[in-house]
Amino acid sequence: MSVSAAGAARLRLPPLLAFLLRRLLRLALLLVCVAALAFALARAAPVDPVEAFLGPAAAQVGPEQRAAIAARWGFDQPAPVQFLHWLGQALRGDLGESSIFAAPVAQVIGERFAASLALMLPAWILGGALGFGLGLAAGAREGGWLDRVIRLYAYLLTALPGFWLAMLLLIVFAVWLGWAPVCCAVPPGLLPDQVSLGQRLAHLVLPVAALSVLGVGPVALHTRAKVAEAMRADFVLYAFAQGAGRAEVALRHAARHAALPALTILFAGMGELFGGSVVAEQVFAWPGLGRAAIEAGLRADVPLLLGIALATALFVGCGNLIADLLAQAVDPRQRRRA
Amino acid sequence: MNARAKIKARVNARGRLLLTGLTAALLLGGALLAGHGMDAALLRPRFGLAALPPGPGYPFGTDALGRDLLARSLRGLETSLLVGLLAATASTLIALLLAGLAMLGRAADAIVGLAVETCIGLPHLVLMILVAFALGGGVGAVVAAVALTHWPVLTRILRAEFQAVLTADYVIHARRFGHGPWFILRRHLLPHALPQLAVGFVLMLPHAILHEAALTFVGFGIAPARPSIGGLLAEALGSLSAGWWWLGVLPGALLLAAVLCLDGIASGLRAWLSPRVAEA
Amino acid sequence: MLPTLRRLAALGPALLLALSLAAPALAAPRSELVLALPGEPERGYDPIQGWGEYGHPLFQSTLLRRDADLATQPDLARSWHLSEDRLSWDITLREDARFSDGRPLTAEDVVFTFNTAARAGGAVDLSALREASVTGPHSLRLTLKAPRITFAESFFTLGIVPAAGYGPDYARHPIGSGPYRLVHWAPGQQMIAETNPFYYGPKPAFTRLTFLFTGEAASHAAAMAGQFDLLAVPPSLARRVPEGMRRVVVRSVDNRGIVFPMRPAGETRNPAGGPIGNDVTADPAIRHAINIALDRRALVDAALLGFGTPAYGPADGLPWSNPESRLPDADPEGAARLLEAAGWRPGPDGIRAKEGRAARIPLLYFAGDSTRQALALTVAEVLRPLGIAIEPEGRSREDTRRLMAGSAVLFGWGSHNPAEVYNLYSAASTGHGFFNAGHYANPAVEAHFAAAQSAASLAASLPEWRAAEWDGRTGYGMKGDAAWAWLVNLDHIYLANRCLDLGRTQIEPHGHGWPITAGILGWRWTCP
Repeated sequence: MSVSAAGAARLRLPPLLAFLLRRLLRLALLLVCVAALAFALARAAPVDPVEAFLGPAAAQVGPEQRAAIAARWGFDQPAPVQFLHWLGQALRGDLGESSIFAAPVAQVIGERFAASLALMLPAWILGGALGFGLGLAAGAREGGWLDRVIRLYAYLLTALPGFWLAMLLLIVFAVWLGWAPVCCAVPPGLLPDQVSLGQRLAHLVLPVAALSVLGVGPVALHTRAKVAEAMRADFVLYAFAQGAGRAEVALRHAARHAALPALTILFAGMGELFGGSVVAEQVFAWPGLGRAAIEAGLRADVPLLLGIALATALFVGCGNLIADLLAQAVDPRQRRRA
Repeated sequence: MNARAKIKARVNARGRLLLTGLTAALLLGGALLAGHGMDAALLRPRFGLAALPPGPGYPFGTDALGRDLLARSLRGLETSLLVGLLAATASTLIALLLAGLAMLGRAADAIVGLAVETCIGLPHLVLMILVAFALGGGVGAVVAAVALTHWPVLTRILRAEFQAVLTADYVIHARRFGHGPWFILRRHLLPHALPQLAVGFVLMLPHAILHEAALTFVGFGIAPARPSIGGLLAEALGSLSAGWWWLGVLPGALLLAAVLCLDGIASGLRAWLSPRVAEA
Repeated sequence: MLPTLRRLAALGPALLLALSLAAPALAAPRSELVLALPGEPERGYDPIQGWGEYGHPLFQSTLLRRDADLATQPDLARSWHLSEDRLSWDITLREDARFSDGRPLTAEDVVFTFNTAARAGGAVDLSALREASVTGPHSLRLTLKAPRITFAESFFTLGIVPAAGYGPDYARHPIGSGPYRLVHWAPGQQMIAETNPFYYGPKPAFTRLTFLFTGEAASHAAAMAGQFDLLAVPPSLARRVPEGMRRVVVRSVDNRGIVFPMRPAGETRNPAGGPIGNDVTADPAIRHAINIALDRRALVDAALLGFGTPAYGPADGLPWSNPESRLPDADPEGAARLLEAAGWRPGPDGIRAKEGRAARIPLLYFAGDSTRQALALTVAEVLRPLGIAIEPEGRSREDTRRLMAGSAVLFGWGSHNPAEVYNLYSAASTGHGFFNAGHYANPAVEAHFAAAQSAASLAASLPEWRAAEWDGRTGYGMKGDAAWAWLVNLDHIYLANRCLDLGRTQIEPHGHGWPITAGILGWRWTCP
């Protein structure tokens, strides 16, 4: 009998809610740790904080002004003090100003994240659906030729450099065939309100294709395992004896059995999805958060880099949280352990 | 199937994996040696031989400055493999160290657990960008960045392993006999960890290489003197519309082949170390 | 099943897009253009923060401008007069200038712009301004701290902002009196400009301009798909001219050269934390050897694919450069003799060494610029047989600023005014931006600069500028200190729609700042 059940009984909280609360607290702690790690790394960089703060304008600023900036932002104080100061500001919603874009970090992240989401969400859903479908087909007839082909495909996907696949798609469909636009989120020359949905979709096709292909592998393999396991159950044999077709059984029974685990994998893979999005954005010149992260890292934009670290940690953390919740729901044994 | 046939199948599966591993190792080694043996002049700009498509004498074609793409790709592969090896070694050692530290007590365990979760909490690429930035963004920074982002998963596995070992009867008896923690570490924990370490190391290698390629692709660690596959592909991106498709397609294909070879070696190694795994 | 459906789905909008783009070609003369030019001003369109540093800032007006022959033409200023003591400029303005919000432009605005820019620590020459003051509703006086003939460059490059409308958000929502006004800007993607209805000059033929910031590669690819009217391309992409476009090659003074750290390595660090000085380049023999060993014509062919001319100084062909400071190049044997005499002997690996120090020089260039990379690699290749090991490294601008005082750096400059020469070689400009990265300081050269700055006019200052490069005994040029190894002058290559007539183009300055738009008021659409 675990402590949580006793405690929950005392508090009259349903065990799932208690679990959720505990995980949320842990997530908050995690975010603080991530912030500390990111801050420490950023401070360790051989970049003068005043230079990084000013960006290109640093060239024209004299020593007295530098000292004033250092004093105002606390650059001359010990690192832990600076960290707490920055954290305090961040909790109040002020993440500072990006030296590359000359705009508030929160605003830059908001805009760019929305653009990345436009890319990641369809890719996530498509990749998940495709992976599930392939896993189902593979697991339905374990050992068959379809199973072997799909396993080989998933295996190949894990070895594939994501950015190379994106480049191949670009070469074939945009440069050679001219079926898709070569870059960017919208056609050139149009104001945002003049861009039609069709045009937006046209620009989404290649990047989403590239990104979704990458997400297929883990989902397909996991689904396959679960489906195969389900197909071995006794009552499945019974259903076959009754004359039910393989496909029917697979769809009716195994799919339900494998759906939740597949979803779990999807949520746990949000970190990898973002990683894939970073390179896809680079290849397709998509103005998303990934490219902003690269620019921030290459060009010493510390406030933006820290802001992105926090934002992505939150993103991944939520994904993991949901994955854990789902895993809980799938396997009741875990509930007791929590 | 009867028992004899089952055993035969098991041996066959293991044998097949071993053979695959060996072949992959030979292929990879051969490619690297060939790359090393190629004339260094092929790597340097050669005016007049710019942007030639693949053909006789130039199996991969040449780039905008007349440098032979095959030679550069093979050198790039060598760099990627070196970086991957360094990074995987460092990660493995860090994992071992941390897992061992975690065994010292509950507080240590909690701290290590938090560290693991923190590093997993960030997307790989963001953490790598942070580390590369922290270390100044050069080639060394890329190595460190890749090295410092792969240890969490292995640490978790090792922790679980160590915990299982420590709660085993024979270890409890060893403790009762008065053997110190060093002795336990050497005699019990390490031998148990070694196969996991080896497998973890070999599994980490392809990931490390792919991540290194991604990091150089987005622009960290660019050093024209030491080509890397990611760097080659980043350069190629600029000239795709000029029709020089081979600059983008071929180095990436080479990387894919190398990673597949490494996967083959990995499964061969697993088959060799733990026959049960061969069936998976 | 899915991939085929996807392909069909992609085809539909693409077809529609293609049709919608083709349609205007069949209609009336075009009044909208799509351009892809490099150098998006990421921090915005604020002249006080550096927008328009090479002139013609599109949204704002300047006091003066240069025409296609580089002759001075009045823009906002009607008259401009330098006092006898060379310390003040009296300027009268035109009276019909208005900002894009309708308000008239008065001397108040000009005075405000100059004073704010000087205080904001903008371009080096503005630091010479003591004060700008209003002398009438449309007249003002600019008072300098000391004579500074190059100060007049700001008349061409400082766009005028409204005193009343200027605030922290100005860079993203600029208001100016120039021919165009900013309608929409999505940083990293595109910027859309429309004509300013209150502009005092001739009405531009094109009412809407879209600038795309998609990078070299994507722009060229989109051009191949017929989506652009004008784009700048690097030499590597210049050979593939898309259907319906033509290649326009414009001469420029946009140069590329290598700056050498002049001091030996020491303990001092620059404000950004990087080391100052390099023991190898501090040796004049190395600098001279590099200068005469390079075959600049071959460099143009190899790295620029022929689109350029050799450069021996920062201002070749301009009146303030001194051709006498040149030495014959493409002479590796002469270079080798120089090095031997100075004590640089080849080691076992072929690299020369002196007193145990190998001739290894890191050469930084801005990563992502294919032309600079090609130049850096080609230079390294050419100098290798000489025994000097150049090690090219692509770096971000920020990293370059941090490291430049300790390494050789490949930079690009090129302006229509000797102010740049002053900025590059005067000790006073060390530490400002990328100026004088090598910490060059030569008292004789400084004396010539001082004399040039206090001249009565630009024409009168020319002999002193030339003397600074080489005065018979010393100078910053090849014969003297050889503080730089200038390499090439680029040709600016554009792909333009066949129906787009760009008029007469000037000899363009450095590429940042969209030099091709200097003549934008003269562009025409020639197809019916």
